[in-house]
Amino acid sequence: MKALKRAVLALGIGGLVAAALRLRGSGGVPPQGGGWRELSGPDLR
Amino acid sequence: MRAVVVGLGAVGARAARQLLSSGPIEDLVLVDVDLARAAAAVESFGDPARLDDDLPGDLAAGDVVVLTLPEGHRALAERAIDRGADVVSTIDDCAEVKALLALDGAARARGRHVVVGAAFSPGMTCVLAMHAAAGFEQVDEIHVARVGTGGPACARQRHRALSGRAVDWRDGGWLERPGGSGRELCWFPDPVRALDCYRAAMPEAMLLVEAFPGVRRVTARVSATRRDRVTAHLPMLRPPHPEGQLGAVRVEVRGRRGVARAERVLGAVDRPAVAAGAVAALAARWAAEGRLARPGAAGLGVLAEPTGFLAGLAERGVKAAVFEGATEEGIAG
Repeated sequence: MKALKRAVLALGIGGLVAAALRLRGSGGVPPQGGGWRELSGPDLR
Repeated sequence: MRAVVVGLGAVGARAARQLLSSGPIEDLVLVDVDLARAAAAVESFGDPARLDDDLPGDLAAGDVVVLTLPEGHRALAERAIDRGADVVSTIDDCAEVKALLALDGAARARGRHVVVGAAFSPGMTCVLAMHAAAGFEQVDEIHVARVGTGGPACARQRHRALSGRAVDWRDGGWLERPGGSGRELCWFPDPVRALDCYRAAMPEAMLLVEAFPGVRRVTARVSATRRDRVTAHLPMLRPPHPEGQLGAVRVEVRGRRGVARAERVLGAVDRPAVAAGAVAALAARWAAEGRLARPGAAGLGVLAEPTGFLAGLAERGVKAAVFEGATEEGIAG
């Protein structure tokens, strides 16, 4: 019984840590248009 | 030009090769604690590369000393400028960068250059920030992000950085925050694209603040997985790879252009060790040719004219890119 309680506690703590890691940070919004262009010629003069 | 390259790992070997292939060089001394590796490099590069294991003597042999060791740059840089050589350091450890920047007075007094953090990140990121800021009347914010590592030493440094204290510049002061915090989705040039990035002990802010008087915020982040963030607090569980895969950097500059708010995003994609080697070699050549802005110890954002430097990198195959069109919601800081 004691071992079971410890296992449940460990799982609970693990879940809380995973949730905190999952939720922290604000994420981002993908670009809505445009793209990357290599700098060349006039950009580098 | 006579050069000494100290450290022949993934970055040092690339820097040495770039020095040999990108202009005249009279003498190239290669130094590494692993004598067999240094001998193999000398055999591979051929004349004028040579091996010497007498480190204090070697530093006197060059007009420029390129330091690519994982640590101990300050003492070697001091010795090199005392002997009349310019120094290019690829270090990306915050404490080492701070120690090297403290050599500014000594380097100025001797009329020598100490280029601090001349790699992919920091290094190319500083030049990209300067180039992105062209046309801005005032730069308010700079946000740097990077993905990937060069050799094993670089991988170890990234591991430490994720568990260290991130040093950001905010409203005229330094702000320390825990590494591995502040997740942001950052969009790098193709084919790397979108990756979650987190605060880490990266020296970008230390190097960029001097180059941008009046800047309010400078931050730096590195890409990582959740597993990286958890295991960053443990010893490395597996030995790092001999060389990392494709990496990228991204620099977002925000400020005022005329009366309008503006932002510009530049980036680059390459193998980090290859790009770092090219940046270090080009910085060494500029130092030897007297093309750096002033004597003293500083980052490339202060010392290098950005357009010419990026053109030089492009000639060496390390190409920058600009994001055009609608930009994403930026890094929140």
